[in-house]
Amino acid sequence: MALSTFPPPNPIQIHRLPQFTYIDALRWLPQVSAFSRHILLATYDSDTSTPSIQILTFTPAQNAKSTPSLTHQISLSTPSRITSLKIAPSPLNPSKPLIAASTFSGSLLFYSADLIDGSLNLEFSVPEKGFHWGAVSGIDLSDNGSECVSVENGRVNLVSLGEKWNARTVFDSNGLVSYSTVRWASPVEFVTGGLGFGMHWWDQRKPGGPVVLFKGNWSRGTTSGIVHSVDIHRSRKHTCLAGGSSGTVFAWDIRWQQQPIILSGAWAGGGPANSLSESEVWEVQYDSYRHSSNTGNVSSSKILPAMICTEDGILAVVEQGEEPVELLAEPCAINSFDIDKENPSDVICSLEWESIAILMRPQDRRQ
Amino acid sequence: MPGVTSSSSDSALSIVPHSSDSQSPRVYPLRHHGLTPPLARVSISWARGNTLRVSLIQSEAVSKQQTGGEVVEVKLTNMEGGEVTDGQWRRIAYGSVTPFALLQSRKNSMDSSHRSKDWWEHVMEYSREINSLLANSKSSGNVVIEDPKALLKKEEEPTSLKAAWELMEIFYADKQSETCIPERLLDWLADYDCLFSGTQPTVHAKLVDFQKQLVTLQVIENDPKYWEAMSSALAVGWLDIVVKLLHLHGSYQFDQLGNRETENGLVEAVAVLISQMPRMRPDLPSGKLGECYQTKPEFMKAWEKWRSQITKLDCSSFWLQCDHHQTREGLKNMLQIMLGNTSILSHVTYHWIELYISHFLYIRPFTVGLENMCNLAQKCMHLKPISNHHKLMGLIIGILEENIEVVLAECSRSFDPWMITHAIELLTAGSTQAEILLLEEQSKLGGISIEELQRLVYAQVLSSYAMTWNIAPIYLTSCMKQGMGLLENLLYRQPVQNHQVLLKSIEICRLNELGIVSSNMMKIYGVHKWKHGQKGSAVFWLQQAQDEVRLNRIAKQLFDFVGKSVSDESFKQWEGLIELLGTESSTAGSLKFLNIYRDFKRSLLQVHGETTTDAAGKAVESLVSLMKNPSTPQRFWLPVLYDSLKLLNWQERPLLNVAQTHLLLNKLQELSIAKLKPDFINADSPPEALNSVRLALATNLGRAILEE
Repeated sequence: MALSTFPPPNPIQIHRLPQFTYIDALRWLPQVSAFSRHILLATYDSDTSTPSIQILTFTPAQNAKSTPSLTHQISLSTPSRITSLKIAPSPLNPSKPLIAASTFSGSLLFYSADLIDGSLNLEFSVPEKGFHWGAVSGIDLSDNGSECVSVENGRVNLVSLGEKWNARTVFDSNGLVSYSTVRWASPVEFVTGGLGFGMHWWDQRKPGGPVVLFKGNWSRGTTSGIVHSVDIHRSRKHTCLAGGSSGTVFAWDIRWQQQPIILSGAWAGGGPANSLSESEVWEVQYDSYRHSSNTGNVSSSKILPAMICTEDGILAVVEQGEEPVELLAEPCAINSFDIDKENPSDVICSLEWESIAILMRPQDRRQ
Repeated sequence: MPGVTSSSSDSALSIVPHSSDSQSPRVYPLRHHGLTPPLARVSISWARGNTLRVSLIQSEAVSKQQTGGEVVEVKLTNMEGGEVTDGQWRRIAYGSVTPFALLQSRKNSMDSSHRSKDWWEHVMEYSREINSLLANSKSSGNVVIEDPKALLKKEEEPTSLKAAWELMEIFYADKQSETCIPERLLDWLADYDCLFSGTQPTVHAKLVDFQKQLVTLQVIENDPKYWEAMSSALAVGWLDIVVKLLHLHGSYQFDQLGNRETENGLVEAVAVLISQMPRMRPDLPSGKLGECYQTKPEFMKAWEKWRSQITKLDCSSFWLQCDHHQTREGLKNMLQIMLGNTSILSHVTYHWIELYISHFLYIRPFTVGLENMCNLAQKCMHLKPISNHHKLMGLIIGILEENIEVVLAECSRSFDPWMITHAIELLTAGSTQAEILLLEEQSKLGGISIEELQRLVYAQVLSSYAMTWNIAPIYLTSCMKQGMGLLENLLYRQPVQNHQVLLKSIEICRLNELGIVSSNMMKIYGVHKWKHGQKGSAVFWLQQAQDEVRLNRIAKQLFDFVGKSVSDESFKQWEGLIELLGTESSTAGSLKFLNIYRDFKRSLLQVHGETTTDAAGKAVESLVSLMKNPSTPQRFWLPVLYDSLKLLNWQERPLLNVAQTHLLLNKLQELSIAKLKPDFINADSPPEALNSVRLALATNLGRAILEE
């Protein structure tokens, strides 16, 4: 290293914290005060074969040399391993968010947390019998927490929350179609992703099946892939961001139905130089970090930057027409991540080798 | 082989492993609920990892009233128990993957003849990374105010695993500090002497005891234990502790300084001499005392000078003026230790390694070469015979005797396969002789080397746990002979029902270019999904595997399932599947039928009115390709033709040309013949269907001929 190179003024701080237990899913919880932040973990202890859901308190590093710490606040064991975890802030009381979790056995669990007391209560659970048959592959809570949509192999189900909960099946394909993930687009519309890079757009006002089907013409070779994760930005509900097999990240605008906009992946054309990764993209989320202050200035036809994590251990930000920015390159898979909604500079991710990585990007960056 | 003993009381069912070791057997009680003896049968099998699955089956007489039996799992633990928890063990296993893989790739990229020169630097880097994993650090970044009386700082819990690793690093990997092995051993003992405390007296244990009393002692120098503790610490070279203790001497107190001036001067003189001790090492960690010398002549000069200073002090007349008896004797004793008095050294140390270190420090500081070190070790063992065999002592003896077999045996006996697999990298770097022994293919091992054997064993351990099986491929692929075969085996053994495991396996196949294995797994998974009614998933995975044979086979059943449903509203269910099939006929096989059928249905629905539209043209096109397609099931022929009556009877002009009409007529003929066969499946069409289709086709043919 040449001595003359200046260190970057505000490098990304990365901390890896071993957990000694497998992390199935993780989320930031809403921030209650400036000093305490909370993380929700779904873990699986392979020594005792116990799955559990935990709230941890996150204390940022006090100075450059020390490491941030995570302390256990509360832990509840769950009947089965968690496949997906979603949080909806309570509109009246930010310290009491609603938590929805789906399990391998097919049940849905709904918790209410109190971040000030440090308590976590199971409000109710929808048992597996007759509702979901196998592992629930994805869930999503609507913004106000009033409805929860869940998908599995062949079924799309909806749970209405409120004074009394009510669960119903929206669609049953009798096993003909498998769904792997789901995301609300508006209070009445949602999108599902599944096999063959297939995506379906659903509208509760038009029951009986998906309203729009998308399957890009993936002309490369004979193999296809799976959509593992979908995100929709609240300001652009027509654009579905999807991540899946072979490092594929694409956006589907339902108004331009059969033409995906490919952001990354082996399909992107131009050979491997254009692709960040060749393995599964496990999660995608719009990254509001850089554009938080000037979303309005970005052309509405351009896809907003997206963060992805992959099986081969990469956490990166991809943006249409730009070189991807690699934030983390781990020797093991990064199974999931979450960007803090209130502080988009902070990201947590779960590493396959039983640890958590916390990234803190400099906050004062202006572009 | 474990055996089950059943004693008289019913709650005392337990498992007792028989082992060839003479150590007392370990009893694993079985936690069962409400089983009453007698048991009819007990069977034991291995479950995941190191757990045994014990099935207890009750005798018939009892089982009529109660459950027929129970299955319990017993987790076997090693005798040590708990030095490294399972979670810690996994952390070490995960963490060592990257250094190991990096070292292997460096090894492969380097020519073996060029390797020798600075290869040890890579090995050292590897060793340091592994070593850092073994640290059980729970230290927080907070700086605690230091207790002036704390003698032994406890930063981390030392483990014998780390101790053994460091030993091998000192002797095999670290070529840079070859000349100062005695000094490194001294540091090593300072860190790990406490590990011996469990089985025998040690200097460390003595200091811990003294530390406890320290708070209560009023006049410290009157207590003989104070002098004993200092002598012992000095003998093994823990100079900072000695000087710290000397400064607690009563003569330093302000109120006594006046009348104990000479005494204080002597104490201080000894303290200064101790802190100026010449050390043959490049540097010292902060807080440690001594003066470092890198070259032998400089060190020798300093050593001689230092010794003469001690002798001078020893003969000084000030001793006569020192009234305090204990101080005088204690300090004199310490001077004797520094002058290398063999009997005193032997008296103040407790086991042979401590004595060994004291000999290095004060009697033979110039010892170099393993042979000399080994001779000295034997001498020390003779003076302090081993009363209690400790695994680390066995390891040290093996190393000093340059006996690789003993080192291997000690490693595999005392530590789990992780240790030996990773330590072999250090051993092979150590000497050519070891390299030959470890890398030579041996017929008694089935033609593989010891190195490969150990890696295979370790991979086996990794693959028996659900959390670590996916790092086993790293070790298997480093095995030249049997690695790939066992990797395939491992992949095929993974539970087929788990989607995540499948994707992981496919990724491993991709990285290792195991395309056939990957496609076989997709086939297995596809068939599994098919059997569980997840048709879409099955079709997807069989398509991914390009398994036309199975796709065709399931196609028939799938068409049965379609039935008439395509025509009604529930066709929406099929949309998703048909989208999945895509447009490429190569992968869809006979499922291609569904695609054309859907297109046909869709365009037929769009045909309205009587004027020729694009939709009608498209519908005819689909109809013809459906009839041409060999995979269209026969029982769909008539319903399809019947559905398209309005196309056949098109008012404006004939939509089908002569050739097309002939094709359809031939199909109709085929159908009529097939009807006579016993295995004909009657489609649910109205009875007049055949006749009306035949009529319509005939009319169309006539009109088409006229038109042409």
